[in-house]
Amino acid sequence: MNTSNATGRQQNSGVALASRRQRYWDLRAAGNFIGGGSGTGLIVAAAVAATSGTPFRVPLLLGLALIAAGLTLVWLEIGKPWRALHVFFQPRTSWMTREGIVASVMIPFGVVAAAAANPALTWLTAVLAVGFLYCQARILRAARAIVAWRQKEIVGLILAAGLAEGFALALIVGLRGGIGLGLAVAAGLAREFAWHRYCAALRREPGAAASLAVFGAPVPRRLAFVQRVGLALIAAALIVSLAGVSGTAIDAASAVLAIGGGALLALTSWGMKALLITRAAFTGALIVPVTPIRGARPESAADGKAPALVQRHAR
Amino acid sequence: MSAAVKRDVREVPSFCYNCVAGPDLMTVRVENGVAVRIEPRQEAAAVHPGLGRVCVKAFGLVQKTYNPHRVLTPMKRTNPRKGRNEDPGFVPISWDEALDTIAARLKDIRARGLLNEAGLPRVAATFGHGGTPQSYMGTFPAFLSAWGPIDYSFGSGQGVKCVHSEHLYGEFWHRGFTVAADTVHTRYIISCGANVEVSGGVCAVRRHADARIRGVKRVQVEPHLSPTAACSTEWVPIKPKTDAAFLFALIHEILFAHPRERLDLAFLRDRTASPYLVAEDGYYLRDPESRKPLLWDEISGRAVAFDTEGARPTLEGRFTVADAITQGPDGEIRSWTKAACRTAFTAMVDAMAPYSPDWAAEICEIPAATIRRIAAEFLDHACVGETIEIDGETLPYRPVAVTLGKTVNNGWGAYECCWARTMLATLVGALEVPGGTLGTTVRLNRPHENRLKSVVPGEDGFMAAHFNPTGRNEWQATPSGRNAHRTLVPIVGNSPWAQALGPTHLAWMFSRDAPKEWPQPELPELWFVFRSNPAIAFWDTAKISDAMARMPFIVAFAYTFDETNHMADILLPEAGDLESTQLIRIGGSKYVEQYWSHHGFALRTPAVAPRGQARDFTWIATELAARTGLIERYNAALNRGAAGVPLSGEGYDFRLPIEQIHSVDTIWDAVCKAATAELSHGAEVHDLDWFRAHGHYVVPFKREDWYLYPTMVRLGLRFELPYQERLLRVGAELRRRLHEHNIHWWDSQLDEYLPLPQWHDVPERWVRAIRAQGYDPEDFPFWGITTKMMAYAAGNNAGIPLMDEVSANLRGHGAVIMNADTAARLGINHNDWVEVRSPTGTTEGRACLVQGCRPDTVVIPGQFAHWKTPIAKDLAYPSLNRLVPLSLELTDATGSGADVVRVAVRKIAPPARAGAA
Amino acid sequence: MTRYVMVADLRRCVGCQTCTAACKEGNGTPPGVQWRRVLDLEVGTYPDVSRVFVPIGCQHCANPPCMEVCPSTATRQRPDGIITIDEDLCIGCSYCIMACPYDARSLVEEPHYAFGDTPTEAEAARRRKNLVGVASKCNFCVGRIDAGTARGLVPGQDPEATPLCVNACISGALSFGDIDDPDGPVARLLAENRWFRLKEREGTDPGFYYIWDKGTL
Repeated sequence: MNTSNATGRQQNSGVALASRRQRYWDLRAAGNFIGGGSGTGLIVAAAVAATSGTPFRVPLLLGLALIAAGLTLVWLEIGKPWRALHVFFQPRTSWMTREGIVASVMIPFGVVAAAAANPALTWLTAVLAVGFLYCQARILRAARAIVAWRQKEIVGLILAAGLAEGFALALIVGLRGGIGLGLAVAAGLAREFAWHRYCAALRREPGAAASLAVFGAPVPRRLAFVQRVGLALIAAALIVSLAGVSGTAIDAASAVLAIGGGALLALTSWGMKALLITRAAFTGALIVPVTPIRGARPESAADGKAPALVQRHAR
Repeated sequence: MSAAVKRDVREVPSFCYNCVAGPDLMTVRVENGVAVRIEPRQEAAAVHPGLGRVCVKAFGLVQKTYNPHRVLTPMKRTNPRKGRNEDPGFVPISWDEALDTIAARLKDIRARGLLNEAGLPRVAATFGHGGTPQSYMGTFPAFLSAWGPIDYSFGSGQGVKCVHSEHLYGEFWHRGFTVAADTVHTRYIISCGANVEVSGGVCAVRRHADARIRGVKRVQVEPHLSPTAACSTEWVPIKPKTDAAFLFALIHEILFAHPRERLDLAFLRDRTASPYLVAEDGYYLRDPESRKPLLWDEISGRAVAFDTEGARPTLEGRFTVADAITQGPDGEIRSWTKAACRTAFTAMVDAMAPYSPDWAAEICEIPAATIRRIAAEFLDHACVGETIEIDGETLPYRPVAVTLGKTVNNGWGAYECCWARTMLATLVGALEVPGGTLGTTVRLNRPHENRLKSVVPGEDGFMAAHFNPTGRNEWQATPSGRNAHRTLVPIVGNSPWAQALGPTHLAWMFSRDAPKEWPQPELPELWFVFRSNPAIAFWDTAKISDAMARMPFIVAFAYTFDETNHMADILLPEAGDLESTQLIRIGGSKYVEQYWSHHGFALRTPAVAPRGQARDFTWIATELAARTGLIERYNAALNRGAAGVPLSGEGYDFRLPIEQIHSVDTIWDAVCKAATAELSHGAEVHDLDWFRAHGHYVVPFKREDWYLYPTMVRLGLRFELPYQERLLRVGAELRRRLHEHNIHWWDSQLDEYLPLPQWHDVPERWVRAIRAQGYDPEDFPFWGITTKMMAYAAGNNAGIPLMDEVSANLRGHGAVIMNADTAARLGINHNDWVEVRSPTGTTEGRACLVQGCRPDTVVIPGQFAHWKTPIAKDLAYPSLNRLVPLSLELTDATGSGADVVRVAVRKIAPPARAGAA
Repeated sequence: MTRYVMVADLRRCVGCQTCTAACKEGNGTPPGVQWRRVLDLEVGTYPDVSRVFVPIGCQHCANPPCMEVCPSTATRQRPDGIITIDEDLCIGCSYCIMACPYDARSLVEEPHYAFGDTPTEAEAARRRKNLVGVASKCNFCVGRIDAGTARGLVPGQDPEATPLCVNACISGALSFGDIDDPDGPVARLLAENRWFRLKEREGTDPGFYYIWDKGTL
């Protein structure tokens, strides 16, 4: 048996099927990644708050609610919702099964933690939530058909974005202390860094042009800009907090900066995620490495043409 | 359905003959009385060249059968006004009412005479593609035969539907009504637009695929990259309608750049008229006594009759003959003394002298070097001098072929292309020999089932040809059919097929504006239509529809409502492909690449009961015959063979009593028995039940019989090439006759009667036509052409969703294909809506941008733009047919036009009813 | 061992979609769902252009990414290499669709039919247990293979044990069989010709081979 062989490439042009946008996961699926990320961030923020003695029930419950809402959305999306329990059948390989298992453990823990106002249980919930978010990140990475998801850098992005969104939302629900602001800025910066790494990876990927075009369109670029504005507002609030100045007006202004910045950061990150799951989710090009030899060997077969741009012409 | 439930599964043998490239054999799987799928007929794999498989069209037959939009009861029109915008008000009626209404009309016509005052049949009939509807109309041909004269001249479309000039000239020159490469043996094919991978049928697709694996080189010369071009070794883009220049240049190159020894000189000398001597008046020099054409005998050094024993004809040269005559038009004899003459071959060399590759390069926009290379490759592959053994006989082996596509084969330029193609084969002796260019069937001569038997010696050492007479006393001055085929087109002859091969658009054109020299042709009083939708399939469809609306009484066999039966008075639902009975001939050498090593018969039998009140066509035909008082004539026609086989012959007699009304099964039982008896010379007789179980019955067909050459040798005949003395004379006579009757509007067609074709600016004719329509050619800068899709070609499939779904995997389906760079220049993006416009009309569709298309050409595949057919009318697909004019100016001497038109293209906003991209 | 594979000879394929139609009809797939189809691809710039027809569908990978992600275990791999979907287990999450590098899987959310909301008699008779709301794809006509082998027939050689697309293919482009049978037609075809597989670098070890030229390396 000979080996699979594409060495005709030197003699033949390759052809490729241009990538196609996936049609199956819509905003409901995006909602799961939004809820999962933001919820996890909120729960972690709640755990930090619990440690520092700040009331944490609201962010904890809100985080759990967001995760549950995301899962509900995805439950509404699947074709056979009444078979949802089948999702637990493949823990050995499927990150979707693992996501389900972690969620089903985490949510009861979280509810008990909130009910009992127990910091330790809250931390346990937070650890599980991070595990849940990691599962979500790995779900995307294992989706090998979708160029924009299958990058290994997607894991860091999903984790950082989730934390950034959750910490930003925590500012809105009241965790606007120095630690809260610091975490939000740190997570926001981490998200920026992860996004930068992720885009760099996409740019190295030959089949990612369509996704990059989506991210490079005017609206996403504006989203990215606004996100940075949000981060800057939070950073300003943090500076105010670190400066130790206070006063009613300053506190109010700081709160406005934190809440406004948090809202901008969270909303824009959600927007980018929605894009990532829906509009930027293209299948990879299908490369046919050689053109077949039909009958006698054509004169041009010896030309050594390079593979050229190819379109798909059928519907 | 639970797996535990026992399913009643039947596998019913049948055939698919929806397009002319069939018939192919299939199996219908029926579960619990419902046809669920089509499968290949594995039992036929050993005899069918396509291994018992059917093409994509056949897989639409299940949906076609269960289409909820079918017309399933007879219907009558209640709105007497006809027109596209009139609701016909069809209401269901009983079969009795429908048949009695038609019979009353027919009886009234019969009482007044079968011909009207102008001598034209009062009854007309139009059937669709390539004669294939005959394989679905049961015994209706017996009814038509019982009736008498019927006008078949209202065509259902030309152009892409037909290889018109090839039919006429191919059959004239080598009994090749359809012409194909001997794909089984060939090594090199020059294909000018012949789209065999799409429209050649299962046999062609399989054979060409096998040939590719074998290493055949196929050079596809056409303006856009069709699937056939895709599957060829080389695609050579050519400017539309310049193929003749390309082919002339190949001949020129072979004659002027290569030594004569590369040609098959013996073939040219002995099997063609190349040595015949041509006088200065263009006619053959003839012996004054015998009137036989003369040739120059090398041995005696003088001119002798062509059939002189022991003479060695000289192929080339100029001579002086002491005493001879020429025979001009109308029997005019001219005597010559010291007649200067040249051989027909030399005349041909002289005629081709101007057409160098450099000359052609300017016209075809193909580099001269490419033309030179192709000519050299053609010679290199021709294997002149080699032989091959077929069925124990040693035959010449010339594995080079030239095939022509439909737009090449139709309209102006087609004569030149047919001649040049046949001449290329002739030069290397590759006509009708293994590996070469073959005819595969006859329709203007008989018998249809074996073209070799149609070869009988005629005049001047050639096969007999059956032209319509052009002599002063025999010419038909007043047409006997509405397209005047016997009057205007001598070469089409007067076989049962001839009328439908005449200029079929003239019948439609003349129905409104008849030439003043002839009586205004009244429309037929009753028009039968079956498996035909001229309102979509012909040109200038708006005008065709208008003409149709003026037909006084139309009987349409109706599958669904459509654009043609919208004008009908009575709709009759016939049982469909999976519901009806008929025995047809298969195998032998048939259309296109259907040349088999077997021949015989296949049965179509009801796999499922007819839906609704649909009735078997044979029942309908029998009832019509009975109610019209023609049952005896009808049965007599059946006995003579109107159902495909004479019911009696040597050693068998299955004739039906003629005074009785016979059931469908009784009739086909007799046909089955007669067919098998005929084929086995009485040794085997199989009845209808046997065929229902076995599907087909075949006996071997000699491969040698694929080739005409052995018959020509046996009968000592010559192919009537290269020189066309007969056409020259016929043309001169026709010119006289027409001018005697003051008819001058056919003059440019008469110019085509040349003994050796000459290049004239063929594409310019289409540019001039724009001017003649009162427009500026500059405003229509593109060539509009069309191409076929396998799922649709001749399938009446526009309303079958499965065909649309699978065709959408192919580029350009339902769209306007154009060159991407051209589109960019016009600001058109892929999938944008565009309008394509000609002076005749406009059509709209999405743009499909490709690189594989000439920058000056747009391609609109298939025939769509339906406005009535369910499903199809919602597709919003464009159609070239709306743009192509019905034009006398664009009609060639054979009466054909081509699917070519100059067009403009512009981007438009999406129409309201079309969805977003 | 047995591993069933598909071989498409790209030199033969003319893009006619007969396989597509035969598959759709035989497997009763709803409109828009094509387990087997033929891509129509173009490369080059005018006038130096090629067009290639590529039959495609489930590649029946030895390392199937779809099976790895499937949370319900509906997607399974048989010992003979065929990847199946248990329609009763599938939850319709579409995750396998996102994982398949070959775009081979489909899911329809609502029942619909060729002529609208009502199935024809033929569609009603062929209606799959439940293809609505679950993932579906080519299964190499596994039912035919099992029924055929149970009768001692050889898939790829006996039509009754062979996928419908292969039986229907008019150009002879599609072949099917056990690649581990060294004397079988599939192994012979691959030994005598040059071939490639799609997305080799994915490491999926697909069971779908594309012949493009004669000879071996």
